[in-house]
Amino acid sequence: MASIHLQNIVKRYGGFVGVQNMSLEIADEEFLVLLGPSGCGKTTTMRMIAGLEVPTDGKIMIGGEVMNDVDARDRDVAMVFQGYALYPNMSIYENIRFPLRMRGVPASEHDARIRQAAEMVELGAYLDRKPAALSGGQRQRAALARAVVRQPQVFLMDEPLSNLDAKLRQSMRVQIKHMQRQLKVTTVYVTHDQIEAMTLADRIVIMNKGAIQQVGTPDEIYSDPANTFVAGFIGSPPMNLIEGTAQGGRFNAPGVSAPCPSNVQGKVTLGIRPEDCRIGGDNVQGLVYGVEPTGDTTYLTVLAGTKKIEVKAARDYRSDIDVSIGITFDPARLYFFGQDGERIRGVA
Amino acid sequence: MPTDAPSVLAKGVAQAAPIRPTQPRRRRSPALRKAFPYLLVAPAVAYLLVITLYPGLFAIYQSLFVVKFLTWTWAGADNYTTILQDREFWAALGNTAIIGGISLCLQTAIALTLAYFAYRDPLIRGWRIVYLMPMLFMPSAVAFIWKLAFNDGRVISDLLGRLGLIEGNVDWLGSIWLSRMTLIVADVWQWTPFLFIIFVAALQGQDQEIEEAARLDGASWPKIFWNISLPMMRPVIVVAVTLRGIDITTMFTNVFVMTQGTPGGATETMSYFIYRQGFRMFNFGYASAASVLMLILTIIIAQTVVKRAFHSGKS
Ligand SMILES: Nc1ncnc2c1ncn2[C@@H]1O[C@H](COP(=O)(O)OP(=O)(O)O)[C@@H](O)[C@H]1O
Ligand SMILES: [Mg+2]
Repeated sequence: MASIHLQNIVKRYGGFVGVQNMSLEIADEEFLVLLGPSGCGKTTTMRMIAGLEVPTDGKIMIGGEVMNDVDARDRDVAMVFQGYALYPNMSIYENIRFPLRMRGVPASEHDARIRQAAEMVELGAYLDRKPAALSGGQRQRAALARAVVRQPQVFLMDEPLSNLDAKLRQSMRVQIKHMQRQLKVTTVYVTHDQIEAMTLADRIVIMNKGAIQQVGTPDEIYSDPANTFVAGFIGSPPMNLIEGTAQGGRFNAPGVSAPCPSNVQGKVTLGIRPEDCRIGGDNVQGLVYGVEPTGDTTYLTVLAGTKKIEVKAARDYRSDIDVSIGITFDPARLYFFGQDGERIRGVA
Repeated sequence: MPTDAPSVLAKGVAQAAPIRPTQPRRRRSPALRKAFPYLLVAPAVAYLLVITLYPGLFAIYQSLFVVKFLTWTWAGADNYTTILQDREFWAALGNTAIIGGISLCLQTAIALTLAYFAYRDPLIRGWRIVYLMPMLFMPSAVAFIWKLAFNDGRVISDLLGRLGLIEGNVDWLGSIWLSRMTLIVADVWQWTPFLFIIFVAALQGQDQEIEEAARLDGASWPKIFWNISLPMMRPVIVVAVTLRGIDITTMFTNVFVMTQGTPGGATETMSYFIYRQGFRMFNFGYASAASVLMLILTIIIAQTVVKRAFHSGKS
């Protein structure tokens, strides 16, 4: 069990910056999720922690020890790869046993530990099979068992669920979280799926273009986004971001008018989540563009000027298109962002 | 429905209409469809029949006769019964097994070792062609180079002498094992690169994530190679070594040029024996019988090896 410190980590590939100046403290036993769009440097960050990639600059510490020059095999981290990376020539039993053999765990302990790990991921019945004879979900669990069996200091998981179907993903998610709580191992989990991030994480790190955008608990990330990138990335559908001008405590954009704090001035972006909009009223004057019933809610898209605004409506809401409609914003849930995309915090 | 007032939808369809094929759709008759794969491979099959099957069948036919130039006398299985009691035949078989076996083991081991050290090096990819050079030379030229190096030119004796390892000249053809060794060295030199290139390609083709996973599981590079990479490349090794093995059983050029079977037939391989029977002693039927036996033996061994290797790889 160990904490992880990243100090000004930089990774350059020639002229291309994969990860820029990243600093992060991960507490012991924490479940930290790196979240961001594809290509933002999540995998690179994780591989640097694992020791599979050497940072161009900066310091990596695990359990208080500088790890930059420590070989991957001596870092005592276990990683679950996106492609599972099971050894195709070995049975699942031998796969799970491999780290025990390589780390010199006494042979007498092997069997009990392998069965315990397999039990934890409910794979006990498949130990004799080769990886090729397992389904995606089973391979996934075999990879987890192999990571768990040697009780490492740190777990690293790189999009472990991205190859599974939606239903399986949900059940594996719960299983992973349960396991992490049970074992109390510091875990870094990479994903581009915000639902996974929100449900699993103690804290989320949002990345974009190799840089950290915001670090916080899922609640903080959701209700207190630091910039337009985070606001637009989290939530489904994500926050409405409307560009306009603010003057004298009023925000205006084509078809949109809303109150704003007096310190918000000039060209700004207003953010409002779909669930903080109500039908009726006059913050938005627009036309119904589309209605999407999903069963438990209905998503309504309103066209205000040229801007489409998403609204979460009651499940039985229905409307024809091109009908005039008014929308009210919850005034307590309005966010304002400056021209640089950074949040303008109220001074009241 | 009024056709003079088309709806938006109908207009869309009307616009799409000209794109539809005006000719009748082409169909293949079921018979042609079934025959099609065979038609595709027909040229290759015809080529193979002419190149290998005809001479093969001819050899089998000829092996049943005593052939003295143009006179063929029916001999039945006589050639075979004589051969199976011919000490020179058995000696040639033994020599082929010894020289070929040692050579094959050596080149496989060397190629694997080199591949293990080299495959992670990006330079290897760029310079692949260099390693193929020994195979690109004309076999007889290579044989003459080695003949020069060992026997006539005494290059190797000279080199060893300068290193202080020996005194004077070594008579490479004077001893059974030295003579065999010269053949082995020549073959290893020429064919190790072939195996090396194949092994490197197989290793580079392996999923890098698996190696990384093993690394994080605490395995050293030699252990990764032994426990994971090597078992994973097993089918490639089996095929490459089998091909090489089949090729080695027909080792002829080097024997012909370098040793001519000396001393005392210790380096006479099967091919050289067949050549001697056929083209020196003109026992064509006898030579054919020997080559048929060799063919059968090779097929049996290759079949067994491949079948075993792939079968146990699966379970
Ligand atoms: N070996 C490499 N050479 C050059 N560029 C790389 C290399 N590995 C990753 N990159 C680049 O670095 C960026 C971050 O990659 P990665 O960390 O894999 O992103 P992701 O967040 O999707 O996991 C990507 O734009 C990728 O193209
Ligand atoms: Mg990735």
